[in-house]
Amino acid sequence: MRIKAPKDFWSGVMFVGLAVVAFVTSQGYSLGTSTKMGPGYFPVVLSLVLGILGLVLVARSLVLAGEALEAFHGRAIAVLVVAIVAFGLMIGKLGLVVALGLVTAFSAMASAQFRAFEVVALSAFVTLISVLIFVVALRLPLSVWPSF
Amino acid sequence: METLGNIALGLSVAITPINLLYCFVGSVLGTMVGVLPGVGPVTTVALLLPISFTLEPVSAMIMLAGIYYGAQYGGSTTAILIRIPGESSSVVTTIDGYQMAQQGRAGPALGIAALGSFFAGCVATLLITFAAPPLAAIALQFGPPEYFSLMLCGLVASVVLARGSVVKAIAMVVVGLLLGLSGNDVNSAVRRFTFGVSGLADGIEFVALSMAIYGIAEVAYNLEKKSEHMQAATGIGRVWPSTADIRKCIPSILRGTALGSVLGVLPGGGALLASFAAYTLEKKVASHPRTFGNGDIRGVAAPESANNAGAQTSFVPMLTLGIPSNPTMALMIGALMVHGIAPGPQVMTSRPELFWGLVASMWIGNFMLVVLNLPLVGLWVKLVQIPYRLLFPAIVAFCCVGAYTINANVTDLYVMAAFTVFGYVCLKLDCEPAPLILGFVLGPLMEENLRRSMLMSRGDPMVFVNERISLGFLVVAAALLIVLVAPAIRAKRNEAMTE
Repeated sequence: MRIKAPKDFWSGVMFVGLAVVAFVTSQGYSLGTSTKMGPGYFPVVLSLVLGILGLVLVARSLVLAGEALEAFHGRAIAVLVVAIVAFGLMIGKLGLVVALGLVTAFSAMASAQFRAFEVVALSAFVTLISVLIFVVALRLPLSVWPSF
Repeated sequence: METLGNIALGLSVAITPINLLYCFVGSVLGTMVGVLPGVGPVTTVALLLPISFTLEPVSAMIMLAGIYYGAQYGGSTTAILIRIPGESSSVVTTIDGYQMAQQGRAGPALGIAALGSFFAGCVATLLITFAAPPLAAIALQFGPPEYFSLMLCGLVASVVLARGSVVKAIAMVVVGLLLGLSGNDVNSAVRRFTFGVSGLADGIEFVALSMAIYGIAEVAYNLEKKSEHMQAATGIGRVWPSTADIRKCIPSILRGTALGSVLGVLPGGGALLASFAAYTLEKKVASHPRTFGNGDIRGVAAPESANNAGAQTSFVPMLTLGIPSNPTMALMIGALMVHGIAPGPQVMTSRPELFWGLVASMWIGNFMLVVLNLPLVGLWVKLVQIPYRLLFPAIVAFCCVGAYTINANVTDLYVMAAFTVFGYVCLKLDCEPAPLILGFVLGPLMEENLRRSMLMSRGDPMVFVNERISLGFLVVAAALLIVLVAPAIRAKRNEAMTE
């Protein structure tokens, strides 16, 4: 058997996977009756629908030709995800200025056209603007400087 | 007379200095992001959600609305001058607008786009003023079955607009519905889909999800595309169109406005569909359709009027029914909910200042835009030259701070990271995120109305068919699905989307 529409095939696989996770997780919630629906009723119905849709996609991708998969460029997405997680790890202890400055500079590396000088200026600017908007103007309770 | 009183109330709210300021901020920001390719109104509204939570609800809505219709103005500027649509709803404007610019008629093209948009915006606002109250009055009588069917209909309609496979779009709706259920279940206090993470007790944070999908995943996707070299047309010339131009365009503007107003109200509609439909209509009714594509000013006037009219009237289902017709409206509903306002027909009676203030601000905003835009065209064009490599780290930074400040909860940041990956994979697999966002907003509401309907009918699902209005919505939903699956129409739809 050959996959004729890789994009559809992998979408289908993704949806079936999500459906299985949702279905299995929903087993922990009571179904109730159709008159008095429990917390499990709607999720179970939805996960079954999702599973069927996923299977339709998979089945169709084996019969009808479709688009090939696009190349995945890991660099940008990896840098961005690491940047967000790093911000989460730093914001509590290091405060907005340090965390945001580092994260902005780091996320700039997601682009191939990285220029060191530009990036330093940019992160300083973005951090300053953020402090002005979020802390000075909106008075959100954010620690600005590191606290130990 | 009641209408006059309402308008007076709206104006009195919209004209306070603070609301004028937010209307201005929203319109200008909207124009800016409309001009910048790669940053759209959805991203901007998502970015500004955390800020909007600190404002009064009226000011927040006024600002967010300004971004949406401001972007319609901005999008046309780059479409005409450099053939890069700042917004998807300006794609058709590039066809004749750029040709006009090449022929040295960039000025009139920009002028007619702004004037058409202004006219359309005024008419559409009038339409909201008169159409919304009766619609809300009808909707106030809706019971749970009607609401459930209406939401189903809205979700199906959102699939119409999604590009590519219908099955994928429906699956994305279902994923959105499931994600929307996460957190404490109101009826049973059972924690669903939290996977033991205590930070998820209140469910997946809407702002984190939308920023991940429309902010950061988009950034990752944009970074992979090769950046096009852009050449601005030299010399804009006289902006005010000649009398002959205006006379030629009046019927087109009227047709575009009418079509856009109607398409905007439909669930799943909005600016994008309106502009495509208006261009097609102009070509159909023109006596010499050949001139289209070669710099026909009507090819600018009609879609630009239509997209602004559509942007405006797409607020109607959101404000009167609580049903979002596109992702921007879904974000605005999310913003209302955070302010503790349940969107729906009761908003107009319980919070008249919010509803009428927002409507009045649209008038003011449109006026500001037309006054601002034409003199500032030169500035907007400069803005396009900001390289994306300087833009995206700022987007990422604002997403991080924004997602964190909502609840001061780092879990929201990790949720954002996870959905960034998910959103990126979806973009790669051609699974449109818009249906997912609509599903996410409507998920809990749909479940609640389904539960109540079934309780009312003692478990008989026929309740959805027996109620006349509910049946009507289901018939529309079914008809839309059939239309979508019919191969001939599907081919045409794909053609229209890629054109």
